[in-house]
Parts: sequence; C-alpha cells; structure tokens
Amino acid sequence: MVIVGVDTGGTFTDFVFKEGEHWGIYKLLSTPANPASAVLAGLNHIAQGKRKQIIHGSTVATNAILERKGAKTALITNEGFEDVIEIGRQNRSRLYDLAYRREPHIVPSDLRFGIKGRILHNGDEHEPLNVEEAQRVAELLQKSQAESVAVCFIFSFVNPTHERKIKELLAAREMVVSLSHEILAEFREFERTSTTVLNAYVSPKMQNYIGHLSSEMEDGDTLSIMQSNGGSISAETARKESVRTILSGPAGGAVGALEIGKMAGYTQLITFDMGGTSTDVSLTDGALSLTVESKISGYPIKVPMIDIHTVGAGGGSIASLDVGGSLKVGPESAGADPGPICYGKGDKITVTDANLYLGRVLPKHFLGGSMKLQGEKLENFFQKMAKKTGLSTMELAEGILSVANAAMEKAIRVISVERGYDPREFVLFSFGGAGAMHAPFLARLLNIPNVLIPQHPGILSAIGMLMADVIKDYSVTVMRNQHNATAEELSELFSDLEKKGVEDLLNEGISAENVRLERYLDMRYEGQSHEIIVPFGVQYVEDFHVLHEKTYGHRNRDKKVEIVNLRLRALGMPEKPEFEKAEKMEAKPPEEAFLGECEVVFDQKSTTTQVISRDKLLSGNKIGGPAILVEYSSTIVIPPFAEAAVDAYGNVIMEILE
Amino acid sequence: MSFQDSNTPLLHHSIAHSSRDGVGYCLTPKLAALSNTPGFNVKVNPILLEVFKNRFSSIAEEMGVTLNRTGFSPNIKERRDFSCAVFDQRGDTIAQAAHIPVHLGSMPMSVRSAIESVSWEEGDMVILNDPFKGGTHLPDITVVAPVFAGKKTPSFYVANRAHHADVGGMSSGSMPLSTTIFQEGIIIPPLKIVEKGSINLALMSFFLNNVRTPVEREGDFAAQFMGNTTGVRRTQELIQKYTLETVEFYARSLMAYAERVTRHAIKEIPDGVYDFEDSMDNDGFSEDRVGIHVSVTIDGDQALLNFGQSSPQVRGSINAVYAITLSAVLYVFRALVERDIPTNAGVLRPITVLTQEGSIVDAQFPAAVAGGNVETSQRIVDVVLGALSQALPKKIPAASQGTMNNVTIGGIDPRNGRPFAYYETIGGGMGATARGDGESGVHSHMTNTLNTPIEALEYSYPFLVTEYSIRRSTGGEGLHQGGDGIVREIQLHSEAEITILSERRKLPPYGLGGGGPGAVGRNVIIRGGERMEKPGKFSASLQKNDIVRIETPGGGGYGKKGASRQRA
Repeated sequence: MVIVGVDTGGTFTDFVFKEGEHWGIYKLLSTPANPASAVLAGLNHIAQGKRKQIIHGSTVATNAILERKGAKTALITNEGFEDVIEIGRQNRSRLYDLAYRREPHIVPSDLRFGIKGRILHNGDEHEPLNVEEAQRVAELLQKSQAESVAVCFIFSFVNPTHERKIKELLAAREMVVSLSHEILAEFREFERTSTTVLNAYVSPKMQNYIGHLSSEMEDGDTLSIMQSNGGSISAETARKESVRTILSGPAGGAVGALEIGKMAGYTQLITFDMGGTSTDVSLTDGALSLTVESKISGYPIKVPMIDIHTVGAGGGSIASLDVGGSLKVGPESAGADPGPICYGKGDKITVTDANLYLGRVLPKHFLGGSMKLQGEKLENFFQKMAKKTGLSTMELAEGILSVANAAMEKAIRVISVERGYDPREFVLFSFGGAGAMHAPFLARLLNIPNVLIPQHPGILSAIGMLMADVIKDYSVTVMRNQHNATAEELSELFSDLEKKGVEDLLNEGISAENVRLERYLDMRYEGQSHEIIVPFGVQYVEDFHVLHEKTYGHRNRDKKVEIVNLRLRALGMPEKPEFEKAEKMEAKPPEEAFLGECEVVFDQKSTTTQVISRDKLLSGNKIGGPAILVEYSSTIVIPPFAEAAVDAYGNVIMEILE
Repeated sequence: MSFQDSNTPLLHHSIAHSSRDGVGYCLTPKLAALSNTPGFNVKVNPILLEVFKNRFSSIAEEMGVTLNRTGFSPNIKERRDFSCAVFDQRGDTIAQAAHIPVHLGSMPMSVRSAIESVSWEEGDMVILNDPFKGGTHLPDITVVAPVFAGKKTPSFYVANRAHHADVGGMSSGSMPLSTTIFQEGIIIPPLKIVEKGSINLALMSFFLNNVRTPVEREGDFAAQFMGNTTGVRRTQELIQKYTLETVEFYARSLMAYAERVTRHAIKEIPDGVYDFEDSMDNDGFSEDRVGIHVSVTIDGDQALLNFGQSSPQVRGSINAVYAITLSAVLYVFRALVERDIPTNAGVLRPITVLTQEGSIVDAQFPAAVAGGNVETSQRIVDVVLGALSQALPKKIPAASQGTMNNVTIGGIDPRNGRPFAYYETIGGGMGATARGDGESGVHSHMTNTLNTPIEALEYSYPFLVTEYSIRRSTGGEGLHQGGDGIVREIQLHSEAEITILSERRKLPPYGLGGGGPGAVGRNVIIRGGERMEKPGKFSASLQKNDIVRIETPGGGGYGKKGASRQRA
C-alpha cells in the first residue's frame, strides 16, 4: 500500500509518497489543459500496480472561478430578491476609481428566478411557496440549458422546506442542485447566496475531474481531496461540496508547516511562501488559523478556510520608477513569460534579477543547473535604471530587495501585529523556491529571532496532504441569547449536528474510535454585527466575556450576549506518517558539502561567501554566515548577521544575530 | 495665463483670513496652496521614499485596525464609518488610511484647530466635533494625540475621527431636519479629554450625560484612544529606528512626492476655465433649489476652484462647512491621479479652493449642518466633476446618484417592548463613462458604507423586507448606460417614526456627451394598498403594516444613444 500526496501547481505537479518506511518524491510538469493527465501519469509511475491511498490538492475549483470557466449556473430565490447577489454589500472595493465596475456576475440576471413564498426569522411560513410558479421555473431552466442550479431562500436555514421542495421538483429533471441551507446554514443572505452559487458554479467541473480520476483507479484505491480548512474529504463529498476545496493547495502547505514545526519543537509559526508573482503569509499559533471571511474574485465564501494573506510581490515582480520619483516593485510581474531578464526574454528588472546581480543566485546551481541564466544581460539594464535614480547599480539592486521586503513585512504585520500577536514570539517558516533568500532579511526587520527552512521546501503542500486529518465542518444559525438558551438546550441542538458528523466520518472510512468532535459557538454582544468563535463549555457566557476582552481589549457585563451560530468540527484522525529522526548530531559539516566560494553583496560590501550543498549536510551541522546553501529547487542565503544549524529532522534553522 | 491675472485679487499663496468687514463679496482662501516647502538640499533616496510610504501608511492602517477591533458600536464595527491619519508638527497630513473620503480634507483642519487651542504635554489627547472649528457635522468626533520626540513641542500628531451614532440633539441618531446647529447635538470645542495619560472624568461625564446611548459612546471613545495610542507608539518606534531628522525629512519628502504626482495629473488637464452649476432639490423647508456653482481654472500644474457664486447658506440642515468642500475637491483630484500615492497635504498644494463665507459651501455658525456632510458633499463632487468633464471628456463620468438616501426609523419593538433605532444609507446608480456603463446599486463618491443584511434586519427590528432589488432602467440612456438605482421596501410590524434625508428627488443626475439623465429617486409610503408620494426630506409617523418604499436615483448616461460603441 502506497500513501501519496499530490499537489497540482502552476508549473509542476508534486508527489510525495510513503511505502512502509520508504519516503519518495516525484515531480512532473503540470498539464493545465487536463490536470488529471499529470496526476495519473505520476501515480502510475509511483504505484506500479500497488494499492494506493491518495490525498490530492486540486486547483480545479479555484481555476474554474479565476478563469470564469465554471458551469452555466442559474439561481432560484425569493421574488423581489433576485438582485441580492448583484448588489452585494453595496460598497465598492476601489474607493478612488471613477469608472468602478464589479466583477461581472457569475449568474446573469436572465438566469435568476424569483418565486413567491416567504419564511420568517422564527421559521414561520409567512407565505407558502408558489408551486405552480416553481414548476414553470423548472421548465424555463430546462430550456435555458443551465448545467447547475443554486437555491437560496431568505431564512431557509431556519426552515428549509421551500428549498427542499424546489430540489424535489428539479430532481425529476436531472440537474445539479446546490441548496443554501446544506452548503452554509448561516444567516446573512448575500454571503450565503454567494457561497451557494460558487458551489453550483464549480461542482460540475469537479464532478467531471474526479469522475475522470476515479475511472482510472484500481479496486481498493482511495481518493480524498484536500479542503481549504486544512482537512481532507472523500472524493464523493468533494463532488457535492466543491466550494470547500478552493484553497486546496495552500491548505496543504499550512498543514505541512504546522506538523513539521511541531516535530522541530515550534508551535508558533509565521509561514512565508514566496512565489513568482505573489507571496502568501499566514500565522499558526498552535493550530491552523481559519477564517470565514474569505473572498475569491470579489465573491465572499463563508465556509471555513485557512487564513492566508497575499501580497503582490514575488520573484518576478517588476521594479520601476514612478512619476513622483519613488522606486516601486510590483504588483506588475514578468510572470513565466517573458520572465525576469536573466531568463533570456524579459526586458524589465525583477526581484530575481536583483538577487542574481548581487550574487545571491548561483547560475551553476539554479534548478541543478538545468536552466541557463543569462546574468551578463543584467549590467546594461541596471546601469540605465541606476542612472535615472541617481544610485549606484549595487544600491539599486539592494534597494529593489528592500522595497520588496517592505511590502512583505507589511503583509506579515497585518496577520501578526494587527491581530494582537508579537512576531518576536514566532518562527518564520519559509518555503517555496525563493523564500529563503528573503526570509532572514524579513526576520531582521520584524525582530523574529529564528527562520526555519524545511527539507524540500518546494513541495511542502504535498507533504502536508499526507499529514492532514479528515475534517468536516458544520454550522447552523440559532440566534438565541443568554436568557433564552441553556447549556443543556444548546447541547441538545449540537447533538443533531453530531449525529450527522459521526455518520459522515464513518462514511469517509474513519473508524469510530478515531473520531473527535469539537463544539464551538459564534457569539457576540447584542447590537454587534461580528461574532467571535468560542469553544462550547459549561461556562460559555463567561468564556465569551474573557475571549472578547482578550481579542478586543474590553468586555461589557451590561450587554446581553447572543449565540448566533453553532459550529461543529468533526475530525477523523488517520495514522500519520512519521519522519526519520537523526540519532547522531555532528557540528562540523562534512568536507564534500563545501562547493567553493563566491562573491556576494551584503550592505553594499562585496563579501566572500561559502557555497554549500544542502543535500550533503547532516543533522547537527552548524554554518556561520555569510553562506549560501544550494539545493535543487531552492537557494538559502545565510547573511553575515545570521548563523544556521541543521536539526534532527533535516530542517535548517537560522538564528538572526542582530 | 496665471492666477494673478484672473479676476480674483485675493489669490496669494498665503492664508488670507476671512474678513467680515469686506464689501459685499469676500472670498476666503483658507487653505490656499501652502507651497512654502523648504528646499530640499539633502537628496531624496527613492528606496527610502518607498519604504517610508509603506511605514507611514502602515501606521494609519494599524490605527484603523485597532479602532475597528476595539470599537463598540455597529457604526464602527460593521459600517466602518471612521478615518485615521498621521500629521506633521504643523498639522499637515503625512498619510491617511483609505477609509471615508469625506474625512480627507477636514481632518487636518481639526488637527490644526487642536494645535492652536492647547499647549501639549506627553500623554494628552484632545477631542472636538465643532463644525466651525475644523469638524464636519456633530456626530463625527475627532481625537488628536501628540507624538513627542525629545523636543518641547510635539514633532508629529496622530488623529482619528469616528461617526458616533448619537450626540444628543432633537432626534435620535443626531441626523435631524434641523434649522440650527443647537438642535443637532452637543458641540465640543477642542478640549483635553486625556491629560498626561488620565481621562478627564468631569468632561467625559458631562458629555455622556448629554447623549442617548452613553455606554456605547464610552466604548467607542475607548477605541478611539486605543487607536491613537497605537499610532503614537508606532511613530515613536519609527523615530527610534531612523532618527527624528530622517523621519521628518521623509515626511516632507512624501508630501512633495504626492504633490509632484498630483501636479503631473493636473498638467494632463488642458488649460482653461471651466464652469459648472447644479442644484440641491431644496433644504427640506422651502421648495427652492439651492445652487452650487464652481469655476475651475487649470493653469499648467495648478488648479483654482472658485465656488463664489454658490447659494447663500439655508435654513435646513444641508449646509456644508468649508472642510467638507475641501474634502470633496480633494476626493476628485485624488481620483484623477489614478496612482497609488499617499493621501496627504501634498495633494492639496497645487489646488486653491475659494468660497464665500456664509454660502452653502462655507456655512457659518449657527447654521444647521447635519446633512451637509452626507448630501451636499455629493453635489459638490458633481459640480467639480461636471466642470472637469469639459476638459477631460474621456475621463470624467456622468453624475452618480448624488445622495446617500439617509433613512432613520425608530419606535418600540412589540416583540420585546424595547425601543429600537435603525439608521441606514442606500446605494444607487453610478454615472457612465466614455469607457463603459455605470455600476448599479452601489455607494458612490463620498461614502462607501455597507448595507445591513435583510436577515440581520429582521432579527433586530420589527420589519419585514418585501423587496430589495436593482431599479431597472433608471440609469440614464446613452452610448453607455448609467447605473441603475436600488429599490428597498420595508413593511413595519409596529408603529414608528421615520425621517428621510435624501436628494435627487426632483433634479436628476446629469448625463454627459449627449447621454440622458438618471431617473430621480422616489420616497413612497404605502398604507392599505394606497401609495402616498413623499418629498425628499421629511419626517412622518408610520402605522403598523405601512410599507416604506425607497427608490434611489440612477446614474447619468454617457454619449448619444445609438452612436457606435468603442471597442474596449
């Protein structure tokens, strides 16, 4: 039996697998037109007929939305509310844009159907559903050739009879139907509609994709899909609730960071994933941070997702001087084509070019030397731009990195300082190919004492997928207050969710003794409009006061406390693969790790720097800065103000000395 | 052509103080271009410039996050009706977080007013809301704090302004149809609310005894103090890291930078004098239109806006103080820049704004001003854009809905016997541009607050929402259609009092380049199936089961209908 984590990325599809005690890694070029080809090719190569258990991070749902290639989707809602999805929250995302337009709507107005019928906030039926009208709409839908239908009625999560009736009517017609009370049983009609519509939009694509993968599987193989919340679900569930897989890949990275961090003895991490056009950062304080306030292409998604902050600065970000004389880096990116100047085709200076110009990228070792970098092209471009700025070329090159670092520093502040966390208590966990060239400089800016670079930083997401729990999230709006709800009554309400949770996990193949249930309440003071999530216990009202004070700096005993949503998280814990831990620790790196010396510019000084092969380093090895560690898919810069050590699991831990 | 040759002799680059003894007509260039920036001998490093831009904007944004997180009222937490900024020792803005446009130009006037009024000590904070001393309308309360850096006087200031849901006055919510400022709530001149780190309890208790919701107010004040504390600390950290001289140097450099970019944008506007006039429907008491006129002179990289021919101030509460007019002008030019620059004092340096004291755009004590901030500010934007459209027909949109449709409903909730107060503003159509149609059902120009979800509304109030939709075909016709307005229809489950403060119920948002105007808005009360049309500004008693139907205006269209559409 082989366990395989598969992550489809923009350039590569990564495979990490474990068979007995043996770990393996495999990489293939992605096949964007049909991502399943690369996945299947890799699986065949690895398993060679053996039974396999696959956990897959898929970009199918995300790309369907980003490229607007989802299914033709219709919406059924209350009459008079067909435009809720269009109006949204009536604000604009760009304050100073005189020609502001929203993203075009996924459901155009001629595919939105309003039907008479109304449920009140207490679940009473104010007006019955007009069934004749509904039947007429069902016929219209057939004619419109819609492939998928979202249904969202006001207060359906309190009383779902109208939504269920519509499903019955449509079931006869063989259409894919997403009901809002099943996808997200929470109040706030716009966000619920948006989440349901996105689910309807991506589900048919996901069904095709999973269908294709499954048809190539052998008997006894299992396929799970990574969800945005850091847990996996069966392919069967993912077909119906595809909206839960939007951040599939990045969630794998977050889980991988959390588990590797734990093994290395660190539970407080700031993850830093620098890519070509953007950089993702997130914070982990002992557990994954989740948010229910995510957006994609401007559409809110209220199901729990890992809390990732993205900034438009990466290796391909372009440096430019604006009309006011300020040096900008990004958000424009040279992307993969034309790419940085040193890749051969580009004609605009990028962050990668600046790193190469300073000697921090070593052409001989870049992707194992398989890609030829044209460093000689840079001089001309740097001369020209330096002249315009009145700086030397080296000042310009380090300046470009400073500006890029300032943007990333700001992103890390947003997820740490602004949310009440002190970066000095965290470890900067750097992965992705380019991250480890910038991480020590960022750590110095933020007073973060240590940087951790895991083994194989380029495939962390796939590693994380092997370590993920099976997770199912449930929620329901109850809208009670502390006076009209008792702990017993809430427990009672939870038991319905729990029954469903246990049943679903058993269906996912988890054995009963491995099921864990976590209960939470979304609570707020009366009159507030933002809830905080409180673990449900006997003292839940007091717990809320305490947590509110910790989060917001004050509490108010005079205000009534409201219980808005119940939240259940059902976890099924499969056996997790373990990493090998070195017994022997040896401070002095072996002779063969030293590859030579090169000249690198740090703080405007050309400095003789050791070049070291990371693959040859052993646990316990210590390396003083300045040094550059090279490996196949990444470069680690240890500046003069840092030193590094390899821990028992092969992680490089850098210490910032000033 | 230069400004000195034009027909307004008061146009010097100085602060000419208003003179009441002038003959008939007197212009007050209160914030005349302060382009006395000391010459930079030290070279500006383009890298540090960008780094400092990030750092100062981080400070303003982090203040906002603290304020939002610790704020108590829905108005702060949900609608985010507040702004935060960092100022230099003179009160010039260095960086302001992108929150609410109407606060843009008025914040520095509040800070200057505070600087002039007190002698500062470490740990002090000053509050004020007086519209005639740097405020806008009474619910907007500003808190200013000094940043000391080893000198006797502060080296920097930080400030935030938040809209408080009630500051007393004749009606709940303090947004009344008033005729004098005394009916609108408690007036606070610049006073030390925090002295050397301790709250002035006498002043606080005096204030809290004059408002309807003291607990909520106290909570929001605490949040405003926390916001400033964050700003002071972060500014001090910056000084420690880079030295006072460097921070001051780059603060000035950032203003000069924003100034350069703004001048660059103005230079792209063809030289000339461009006039435009539009009107408010009325002031809520008389039927008369209230005209706003601007003459925009573009000369190279400078702009002069003369509002001298606008109507005198009026009896009703739509008077705008000078700070609002300045904010509206700043908003327009900031939008014209179309680049990511810090919103600071530099943006205003190439711009001179002239008004006549005692006019609708420079109201004087004791005028009623509650609605000037929300309604008149929109019309000021309309006239400035209208004038500039003659110079930049490809860039300037037709008029947007030009109102915020302020609705206040209050009464007793029969479900629990407790009083309720609901306040909301409603979006409408945006004007079309040469590039495309206007957006529908959205807040435009001077506001950007969120709506209250229908399900949230029905949980909290005795309401049944019976319609919430786009008001189709209300955008002006044209080559590009104006955006459509919104229909919001609410049925009452109890008796209640309603006040609506809205505009564009008589005079429609204009189209441009041959495009038609947007449809005017409508306020209707439906009782037992009978429709009663109501004016744009009114108060009324509602009966149980009455339906309030608000139809907001569409945006103006652009270009002649039927002309060939440009390919994007």
